[in-house]
Amino acid sequence: MADYTLTATPPLAGVDRSFGDLSLKAPADLALVSIALPLGAEDKVLKAIKTAYGAELPDAGKSVLSKDGTVRLVRLGADQAMVIFTHATPDAEPTVQAKLKGTAYTTDQTDVWVGLELSGPTSRDALHRICPLDIHPDAFAVNDSARTVMEHLGTLLIRTGDDTYLLLSASSSAKSFLHAMETSAQNIS
Amino acid sequence: MSQINRVKGGLIDRSTPMNFTFNGKSMQGFAGDTLASALLANGQRLVGRSFKYHRPRGIFSAGSEEPNALVQLRSGAHQEPNTRATVAELFDGLTATSQNHRGSLEFDLMALTDYASPFLSAGFYYKTFMWPKALWEKFYEPVIRSSAGLGRLSMDEDPDIYDKGFLHCDLLVIGAGPSGISAALAAGRSGARVILADEDFAPGGRLNAETLEVDGMSGADWATQALAELAAMDNVQIMTRTTIYGSYDHGVYGALERCTDHLASSNGKPRQILWRIYSKRAVLAAGSTERPIAFGNNDRPGVMLAGAVRTYVNRFGATPGQQVAVFTNNDDGWRTAADLAAKGVNVTAIIDSRDKPAVCDVPGARHIRNAAVRDTAGRKGLKSVTLTDDQIIDCDCLAVSGGWNPNVHLTCHQRGRPEWRDDISAFVPGGTLPVGMAVAGAANGALTLGAALAEGRAIANQQIKDLGFTASRKAAPKAEDEAFECSPMWHVGESIKRAWLDLQNDVTVKDVKLSHREGFRSVELLKRYTTLGMATDQGKTANIPALAVMAECTGKTIPETGTTIFRPPYTPVPLGALGGRARGHDFRPTRLTPSHEWAKANGASFVTVGNWMRAEWYTRPGEKGWRDSVDREALNTRTNVGICDVTTLGKIDVQGKDAAEFLNKVYSNAFAKLAVGKVRYGLMLREDGICYDDGTTARMSENHFVMTTTTANAVLVFRRLEFARQCLWPNMDVHLISTTDGWAQFAVAGPKSRDLLRKIVDEDTDLSNEGFPFMGCAEVTVCGGTPARLFRISFSGELAFEIAVPARFGNSMMEVLNKAGEEFGAAPYGTEALGVMRIEKGHVTANELNGQTTAQNIGLGMMVSQKKECIGNVLSQRPEMVGDDLRLMGFRPVDHSLDVIAGSHFITKGDEANMANDQGWMTSTAWSPNLGHSIGLGFIKRGNERIGEVVRAVSPVHGKEMEVEIVSAHFIDPEGERLRG
Repeated sequence: MADYTLTATPPLAGVDRSFGDLSLKAPADLALVSIALPLGAEDKVLKAIKTAYGAELPDAGKSVLSKDGTVRLVRLGADQAMVIFTHATPDAEPTVQAKLKGTAYTTDQTDVWVGLELSGPTSRDALHRICPLDIHPDAFAVNDSARTVMEHLGTLLIRTGDDTYLLLSASSSAKSFLHAMETSAQNIS
Repeated sequence: MSQINRVKGGLIDRSTPMNFTFNGKSMQGFAGDTLASALLANGQRLVGRSFKYHRPRGIFSAGSEEPNALVQLRSGAHQEPNTRATVAELFDGLTATSQNHRGSLEFDLMALTDYASPFLSAGFYYKTFMWPKALWEKFYEPVIRSSAGLGRLSMDEDPDIYDKGFLHCDLLVIGAGPSGISAALAAGRSGARVILADEDFAPGGRLNAETLEVDGMSGADWATQALAELAAMDNVQIMTRTTIYGSYDHGVYGALERCTDHLASSNGKPRQILWRIYSKRAVLAAGSTERPIAFGNNDRPGVMLAGAVRTYVNRFGATPGQQVAVFTNNDDGWRTAADLAAKGVNVTAIIDSRDKPAVCDVPGARHIRNAAVRDTAGRKGLKSVTLTDDQIIDCDCLAVSGGWNPNVHLTCHQRGRPEWRDDISAFVPGGTLPVGMAVAGAANGALTLGAALAEGRAIANQQIKDLGFTASRKAAPKAEDEAFECSPMWHVGESIKRAWLDLQNDVTVKDVKLSHREGFRSVELLKRYTTLGMATDQGKTANIPALAVMAECTGKTIPETGTTIFRPPYTPVPLGALGGRARGHDFRPTRLTPSHEWAKANGASFVTVGNWMRAEWYTRPGEKGWRDSVDREALNTRTNVGICDVTTLGKIDVQGKDAAEFLNKVYSNAFAKLAVGKVRYGLMLREDGICYDDGTTARMSENHFVMTTTTANAVLVFRRLEFARQCLWPNMDVHLISTTDGWAQFAVAGPKSRDLLRKIVDEDTDLSNEGFPFMGCAEVTVCGGTPARLFRISFSGELAFEIAVPARFGNSMMEVLNKAGEEFGAAPYGTEALGVMRIEKGHVTANELNGQTTAQNIGLGMMVSQKKECIGNVLSQRPEMVGDDLRLMGFRPVDHSLDVIAGSHFITKGDEANMANDQGWMTSTAWSPNLGHSIGLGFIKRGNERIGEVVRAVSPVHGKEMEVEIVSAHFIDPEGERLRG
């Protein structure tokens, strides 16, 4: 038994707020692992993903849920994707690596990012205040994803439901990110 | 005061009275009023004093072009100066005060300047305040400053909040007048995504101000009905109180939405929002602005634009006077007379500069043909006008119409030049429009209602067809084309008295003539010499008449004379709105290190490093200044063990079969054969051979490397690596992803660092010098199984490690390290002690890697391999770089009691201190608590051959110099025994 134990304090742990009909919360135990597709061996990864998650890796700018609905696969670029799932312990990367049976390069991104889920009928109004992208329901469909900059912060935006968005941004600036989101929600409610 | 000037009708809600004050006087208006219409309804003609001569001024227009009626709205910290009363929506409890006077509005002491006007012509300041020079700063400037400007700021922080935002549409329609509504209807019906923006709180434009009919109903009713149809469309967004103030590249428009300016309080919500609108196409339907005619004393309260008088009577049910005369050079002016008469207002005369029969029948009004007004009387309000034939006509309001100018402003924001159209004597949009923009209605020179409605629809249909939409077949709304014939007249030559062109800047016809006489004939020079067209109204009513006067002087035509360039913003945008949320701490995002909370609780003082907040030192009780803390931290680290959060250094995960070869190409030194479990220091060059970053890279496994960069260059290095990977060597199997924020990394440095880590790192890792030698690395676990990465690297020069854990454990890790280290005297250290120790050790940072220095300069010439292909190695061999003999050296003061000064330049003893004798400069300095004196690093010519030489270190900036001895840059442990121990 070690003499010392480490306690996890993710920067946005426990954030769960309402602004009128808008809800803003930090999903608990959100784990992220990036996948890089080796040059020339992409097909093997795609096959492994299909086997592991029961879903095809979509094109860049799109995401898909695993067959059991517990894992979201986001294609970030030609050779890069992100696996998003709920996982409390700091071993998300070996978990994904094992599922893909060594076909892809993986990097733990869990602590690199923080996530905020924005939900409610006015979610788009709140996003209009900080998101430069066209998020009209027709232009940015459910499961679409895009990287952009909001309030100087690099952000990955994923539409996870009709009026629900998952936003990921850097963990070091988590408090500024939260402030930006809260201000938007506050200003429109 | 009661509302003595109310007349029947109008779009105001008489069942909702609103109380307000002007200069402390209580007045009442109605919902739907502007401050201007309410003031006029209450018979308040005098509302302000002019900029230069402090002449009494009244309300001149009914829109955003207003040059005169500038007031201060609200009070206390909310006070806003220079607000146009004509666009200030009335609300219950509004307080307004007039501005630019000393003493009361009625008896302004500064009005004396008006009597001095013969001396205050254009260029007065330039000519007068040139001599004597000594008086400029102490006398002239303070006096001019105290009398300049119009309103006053509260000098308190703006208590309102502001926001900004982004909108997207297929078609942006700018202006909700007849052509704008018609365009929005056409586009909306086709299914396109439309934004219809209008600066007014009641969309409709001139439809609300006229008595003309559309589709058999009143224009205002038609507008209401059309807007209801638009509001019901999901694909249409109507934005009222929103000014499109600028046209930018790629169909981007700037818009200012005034959200709560019409309310007594913002209630914690944004007062205004600055929108960036991305449009695929745009229709500019900004309408037109009426222009005045200049004549003697044409600035008295009561002299107004004819169209504005009509607006007040028709839309606001308020007449600007009881006895109104009309002076016009066109048919449109006649409608003012007709509308006034229809409301029962006494129209005394219609003075038409043209020799033509009456345009319409106006009961009770004299029609005076071929005449003009040459002078007026009435000090604080118009009493009569004198015509060119010397007859005097009594009136308390003169409605002046000189024709209409299309609002071409936004077409010019990207350097488009307007073109002259003789038939309407006005500039219309030229051929070069911003990409995606088309112009419709009065803004395009279609000055009549029927034409504006038809053009709005046609232009919108054309725009949306371009985007692939099918235009709706519904016909354009129908309306008559009213008479608008105009015969240009810019100023009345017979006037002897001053005739104002620019009411806001007190520029007269005489000033323009003077400008011409003195050689300032280009319109750009005219503007700057006379201040024509400056300030809040940007010459909306002044520019064209002034150009016409200049054209007359030069004998050229108006189009030959040209126009100045319109630039954004169309109307003023408050700085608060431009700032938006970016105020105070929210000016930019803040990045916090994982141990920030612990540091805060343990006496840390923070320094901003880019967006990061880093602990610079940790104050202990009894320490009197920062030096006490820093000296202690540096000494303690070299004696016991110190802990520093170094998370801010960039971390890049590099993976792939070709990762080793890739690193070999991006670093100047060899990386291909770095063994697994080893770390190497690497130097990166730019293509031109100059150093730009350094750091360590660890090989965690065959195809997996972890690179560190400097804090400042983390993003730059990542970007350049991505470029190299994607563009230079796309056939390499290399993948990059940033993990900077993912790992909380701590330097654990000092002779007892190994002892401390033995308590933290789980037992299965051998931390002995043999088991974990210098420049070793491994994936380990800490505190009973938490994954971690351990590197044996040293920036301080001591036996040192860097340990990284997932960032979520960072704060806890800092606490645990300090607690576990208590028995070894462990203490945290900040960036200052870090800096001291790296200078003691001769390690470089941005002071030395300043974008101008080479590997040779910093003494690492051997690290630029010529045996391989890597970025920068070829150009680093240019003769001028190879021949550059500046070398990084250490410097210590000959007199140890002196502090060396960063930025000092080195001069060989006996030489004069000048540029020709410059030998180099001091880059970094510190007090070394370990050596007991000040030390420095710096570049000096042939430094490596001059060890032991004493040179002068001269700092002309500080007016100081001292003798310093050139020594090795490695002040402490030059052999590196400690870090390998």
